[in-house]
Amino acid sequence: MFKYQFDWSVVTSGKYFEWLLSGLYTTIQLSLVAIVFSFLLGLVIAMMRMSNVKPVRWFAHGYLEFFRNTPLLVQIFFWYFGSYKILPTVINDWLNKTNFEFGAAVIALTIYTSAFIAEDIRSGVRSIPKEQLEAARSSGFSYVRSMQYIILPQAVRITIPPLINQFLNLTKNSSLAMTIGVMELTYQARQVESYTFKGFEAFTAATLVYVVLSIIITLMVTYYDKVVLSPMKAR
Amino acid sequence: MKRFVVVFVALVFVAGLCGTLSAQDRLDTIKKRGALIAGVKDSTPGFGFVDEKTREIVGYDVDFVKAIADKLGVKLQLKPVTSASRMPQLVEGNIDIIAATMTKTAERAKQIDFSYTYFFTGQKFIVKKGTVKSLADLDGKRIGTAKGSTSEQNAAKALPKATILSFDDYPQALLALQQGKVFAVTTDESILANLLGKAPNKEQYEIPDIQISDEPYGLGIKKGEKGLVDFVNKTLLEMEKSGEAKRIFEKWFGPNSTTPLQRGTFKITAGK
Repeated sequence: MFKYQFDWSVVTSGKYFEWLLSGLYTTIQLSLVAIVFSFLLGLVIAMMRMSNVKPVRWFAHGYLEFFRNTPLLVQIFFWYFGSYKILPTVINDWLNKTNFEFGAAVIALTIYTSAFIAEDIRSGVRSIPKEQLEAARSSGFSYVRSMQYIILPQAVRITIPPLINQFLNLTKNSSLAMTIGVMELTYQARQVESYTFKGFEAFTAATLVYVVLSIIITLMVTYYDKVVLSPMKAR
Repeated sequence: MKRFVVVFVALVFVAGLCGTLSAQDRLDTIKKRGALIAGVKDSTPGFGFVDEKTREIVGYDVDFVKAIADKLGVKLQLKPVTSASRMPQLVEGNIDIIAATMTKTAERAKQIDFSYTYFFTGQKFIVKKGTVKSLADLDGKRIGTAKGSTSEQNAAKALPKATILSFDDYPQALLALQQGKVFAVTTDESILANLLGKAPNKEQYEIPDIQISDEPYGLGIKKGEKGLVDFVNKTLLEMEKSGEAKRIFEKWFGPNSTTPLQRGTFKITAGK
């Protein structure tokens, strides 16, 4: 009944294998850059959200609600196509000469994910007894320094499991970048399908690669927690 | 042991039944069902698109499958497909026939069967006026098109140094052209002409006379369904003879349409 001829050689060697490999390379680049930036931005937004200065807090709150509650696809289109209307011509001309597809995808992924990360970090910070902050402040640390040295190192450690979730989501969400022509893994899998009609093979390969990639990210973050952060905990 | 034998015999019987069912002709299935399920585009102006007033999918492709359904004496059921999804949908048996601006290629012909050519066009480019004189002006530039189409593959072949950017659909590729993100948009002339016809500042753009491929469109049918292919081909030839094929062309691409095209010497004929 089901007369589909599987041909795995399509995805294990030759031109199409190279396509998938280059797609994987782009996916890793896209994910890593966005993971680093979204974590840093998430930290900043989380601190702004807990700031004592009202306008700063309101701004952070607005940022969170806005970027958490709009679809990522819309945000990608916004940064890629929508930014054209706002930016001056000089900048647009310059952007068009660069690989702006990749840039727009990084911006969208970073901002979208940073909103989720900020909320995770905030809940981590809130789980640290507030007496610690008070003790730090009365020992002469500024707000930023007491966050930097005392609160955040502990809070980030508590936040690690939800952070892994956000990083995994980001990696998988990076496939949406193909809608603006970024040639990442899913894009290349679709390319292979449209050239060879071997969709099952191409997407199975892509699926496996995503799974392996996710496992590697999880292991890396867990390793960082166990080996780099835990000795600090013991001290 | 006895029970095992009974189960075994039952299984063999069921398997045999399944075999005979799947061997049944698609043409009979369609007649029994009382409906021909056709995969059509729903956002390709002229060929398959949603009519603003009736909210129904209409176009050149739709009229052809309608004629085939009428001839069969069954109802027509439309299912929107994209360039990327149409072949899997057909192979998996979700649709009986593809009528979705599909170019006949040798590569595709390995997977499915094609009817006689029912539309003939060629692949060209939309560019900013005066920027392109010959094909060489396009090489090394960024060229926009849509995913899963032959346009993508032809452009990569004709312009080996160009960067081909594939968007989800042609309107996005055109937007990228208007914003200077790509230098040209490429696909079949019929689609380009319509895209350009609806663009807000169309006087700034043009379709230069540079053709990189012939694009004969065929109706796609699942491999091995000879009965259905023969019926479709016979119907197409009759439509050409009666003038109905020409009428459908004039309706969507005639001088008063939004996409005026020349039918030229094209006629539906037997063979490739």
